Amino acid sequence: MSTDVHPLDPQQLKSWLLASGKRDPAAFRRLYDATSAKLFGFALRILNKRELAEEVLQESFVAIWNNAANYQSHLAAPMTWMATIVRNKAFDHLRRTNTTVEIDAEQFDGEVMNALQDPQRTPIEALQLSGDAKALAWCMSALEGAHRQVVALAYYHDLSHSEVASQMKLPIGTVKTWIRRSLEKLRTCLARAEQS
Amino acid sequence: MNIRNNPILRQKLAAEYVLGTLRGGARRRFELWLHQDADLRNITAEWQQRLAPMAEFAGAVTPPKKIWRDIERRLGLKQHAHSWQFWKNDNLAFWRSLGMVSTALTAMLLVIVLRGAGEAPAPAAAATYVAALADEKTQTAMLVTADARHHDMEIRVAAGIAVQPGHSLHLWAVPKQGHPRSLGLVTAGRTVLPLPAQGLGDDVAALAVSLEPPGGSPDPNGPTGPVVYKGAWVRL
Repeated sequence: MSTDVHPLDPQQLKSWLLASGKRDPAAFRRLYDATSAKLFGFALRILNKRELAEEVLQESFVAIWNNAANYQSHLAAPMTWMATIVRNKAFDHLRRTNTTVEIDAEQFDGEVMNALQDPQRTPIEALQLSGDAKALAWCMSALEGAHRQVVALAYYHDLSHSEVASQMKLPIGTVKTWIRRSLEKLRTCLARAEQS
Repeated sequence: MNIRNNPILRQKLAAEYVLGTLRGGARRRFELWLHQDADLRNITAEWQQRLAPMAEFAGAVTPPKKIWRDIERRLGLKQHAHSWQFWKNDNLAFWRSLGMVSTALTAMLLVIVLRGAGEAPAPAAAATYVAALADEKTQTAMLVTADARHHDMEIRVAAGIAVQPGHSLHLWAVPKQGHPRSLGLVTAGRTVLPLPAQGLGDDVAALAVSLEPPGGSPDPNGPTGPVVYKGAWVRL
């Protein structure tokens, strides 16, 4: 892999994704090399089982190749589009096989978690994240820890309000309020980040 | 319920739809609205864009190598990825046994067709190996005969085969093991090239021609452009 280009540079990913849509296997290979570790890590956190995550990663890249021609770059960044496919495939897989996942209290990578809790000590800038993810990390670090956890639980584990509530041992009304406020805060914060 | 004039509710529903906490009837209703409401689709896409980077917070884990091989196999990408390795994808034994018969036959015919009238045919005994190279549609485009006695080989290109300007045709020996070996460039009509020092014997499965920049493939170990003609290398 070339090292002079950041592997998660959205423009680069976009050109590989568009080329994959035109049936270019070499571009698809580069796209895989650049993103598969991130997407595998994501699938692994959702599914918590290696073999399931491997299966879902494979299914996802088959879907990415088959749907790349429909990718609309004005609607989603390449990583957004691909991560959404992985997430949907993972949830589909769980529903289809009726598998329950043992939920880890920590949704995030340890270093990312440290950065979210205390960006002064672990700078977000130093993390191996795309620009979009860094912006989101900044805004999530501004949320209270428990609020952040509620949002992450719902996102990573396809949980309803009541499921999050029982997981966190919180009243459902509290969960609803935290989620609503957190999402609002994230929107305002991300809009501000975009302007600056 | 009408949500068209309620921007706060539209944001809340789109956000919780993306997050996954919008459930049951509310979720199905929202999906119906999505169909009819382009602005709502945009709002939802924006929420995808906001929340999806959370995927990266999981941290990277390198997947095992077999995942890519499985994807490649399921999608049938391999033959595109290494076009010179076509003989690995095709069933080589079948191909060669067929080639034995049909190539020899085609070769005989081509000797007549390509040489045309007025040229004295070379002694048949001198040509120890032969390959008829055909395109994807199995149209024969070239005949290669090796003359072990003179240590050279003759390439005859069928009439009507034109090299696109700015390109060259590069001839390769494709061995059963290892990388293709460059044999030289082919021009229209007749080309004579020296046989490589180690010869072109039974270790060679096929000959192939790739489309390359002028001067041939920049990579000495194989084609960089597409393989346009190929054929089994058979002893006569």
